[in-house]
Amino acid sequence: MFPRLRLLVHIAAKHLLVRRRQTAVAVSGVAVGVGFFLAVSAMMVGSQTDFVKTLIDAAPHIIVSDELRSPRPQPGVAAFAKEGAVELHGFKVRTEVRGIKDWQEMLREIDAIPGAIASPSLSGAVTMRLGGRDEALAVIGIDPSIESRVSTISDKLRTGRLIDLERVQGGVIIGEDQAQRLGLGMGDVVSATSARGGTRSLRIVGLFKKGQQVGSGVGYMLLREAQSLLGRPFVINRIGVKLADPYSAEDVAARLEARHGYKAESWQERSADFLGLLVTRNVIMYTVVSAILLVASFGIYTAVSNSVTDKKRDIAIMRSMGFSQGDLQAVFVMEGMALAVAGVFAGWLLGYVLMSVLGSLNFSIQGEVRHLPLDRSSRQYLIAASASLVAGIVAAWLPARKTARVDPVDILRGAV
Amino acid sequence: MSAPVLVAEGLTRELPGDPPVTLVAGADLAIEPGKFTAIVGPSGCGKSSLLYLLGLIDRPTAGRLLLEGRDVSPLSGDERARIRLERFGFVFQFHFLLPEFNALENVMMPIRRLGRLSLAQAEARARELLGFMGLAGKAEKSPDKLSGGERQRVAIARALANDPLLVLGDEPTGNLDSVNSARVVDLFRSLAHEQGRAVVCVTHDPGIAEVADIRVSMLDGRISEVRRQG
Repeated sequence: MFPRLRLLVHIAAKHLLVRRRQTAVAVSGVAVGVGFFLAVSAMMVGSQTDFVKTLIDAAPHIIVSDELRSPRPQPGVAAFAKEGAVELHGFKVRTEVRGIKDWQEMLREIDAIPGAIASPSLSGAVTMRLGGRDEALAVIGIDPSIESRVSTISDKLRTGRLIDLERVQGGVIIGEDQAQRLGLGMGDVVSATSARGGTRSLRIVGLFKKGQQVGSGVGYMLLREAQSLLGRPFVINRIGVKLADPYSAEDVAARLEARHGYKAESWQERSADFLGLLVTRNVIMYTVVSAILLVASFGIYTAVSNSVTDKKRDIAIMRSMGFSQGDLQAVFVMEGMALAVAGVFAGWLLGYVLMSVLGSLNFSIQGEVRHLPLDRSSRQYLIAASASLVAGIVAAWLPARKTARVDPVDILRGAV
Repeated sequence: MSAPVLVAEGLTRELPGDPPVTLVAGADLAIEPGKFTAIVGPSGCGKSSLLYLLGLIDRPTAGRLLLEGRDVSPLSGDERARIRLERFGFVFQFHFLLPEFNALENVMMPIRRLGRLSLAQAEARARELLGFMGLAGKAEKSPDKLSGGERQRVAIARALANDPLLVLGDEPTGNLDSVNSARVVDLFRSLAHEQGRAVVCVTHDPGIAEVADIRVSMLDGRISEVRRQG
């Protein structure tokens, strides 16, 4: 088997080397296809990864809130669940303090998941009052040491540090723009009143950058102080969860919700509309890019087809010598494969160069220098290579079948 | 008379059509080892068609072909290719060397395809054959650098590459001058007489027909006469 394969490869190689120009055209066709596939998909996948990362990082992977997706089952129904057919009408629901009740236990449960961190918080509305001006503020009470590991809010600080909340009595971090409106700066004191009547003096210990969603109208405080300001001691109404694997968020959220009843929303659920858009975008990209690769394989088809036509006489003589039809088809399919392989390598090189050029471009967005997000993973290289190889083999196999129709008798008798 | 290597019984080849065209009609023939058989006849009498049937390149529409007693007409294309590779060697009017390969590589081609010898052994065998053809110094030459007579001798060396039982020639001297023709004819005779192969040649050349051991005359697709000479 092996010497035969070597002989067939030798013949295929000679055919390609004799027709250098056609070989070069076919190889460059594949190379351009592969190169642009890599450049385009690097941008598309890169921007998508970047976008999804922003989505994932913008907030905790799972947010457990004190909301319920359905009303609590009636006590009677719960008690006689097995018998069924029990329903009470006109009963009065007992007023309960809002908030997540068994949150300590939930925290322990989440922390038991490897790599998962749960950050409890309490949010509520307060009014900041300064010199007769009122400004609404959504207060979020957090544990700074945990929160900094769950979300990226510390990256969005213009000045100050999250940990300063623990050092300063009544410390608060608010948005830069809001502070400007009130004429407040670092270290200034402002009084805040909650709906339940508590009033406290807050001291600005940090400012969020302008234009960040997280910082507008929102103030971060220590959880303990927020509980006391909002008049809801020991209660929280939100648990942010960060997972080692963001893509497991849906499963973990479903599990938490099933067990505790509180609404646990994964980032996928929050961003379902964006993720849907990405699917469409991917379909478009792969359609366009497959078309590029397909067109590239036309070059292989032409090259192999011409080679078969030119070599009819040689095909006939080799048949008379005792080469089988399979041998001759293999020769021409291998020619196509060789063109595809050479094209893939040249295309990888081209793609690499294109990506380097794209990666070196600088874009200025709001004064910050940005680079195109590019995905340079080997996965793209492998996809491009395998798609080109398959297209190349098919493109070579179609004309290679023509060898079977070469009738040696006709050619050997009538030849020159 | 030794046992024939190849026996045709009622070998017929028709081209489909209305009415069908008969190329060879009911040919009965025995090809013997150690004998030089010439098939002669006017153009279009079906002598080349008969040769391609005998050489398993074409398939008969009727009749049987026995290779050493075994009916080879029903075999598959691949099996017939295998027989051609192992047992037959062809020489055509045109040399039909593969233009991308030099003389040595052309001769090595069937040996490598058969795959029984290592590359080094195949090369040694091909050089030996080229030497036998008086072409030892031209092994690395590409076919277009060789004269017509040299090319044809390379083609003969290629036909002998796998030590065939049967050598078939279709007007092997048709394109050669008289000196080279005589050389090829001598070669064919020695292949039969000294090496014991069965040699079959289709020819117009009266010189070849004269020296053949068996002269098969054809007319209108039929064998009209089989004459033993010498």
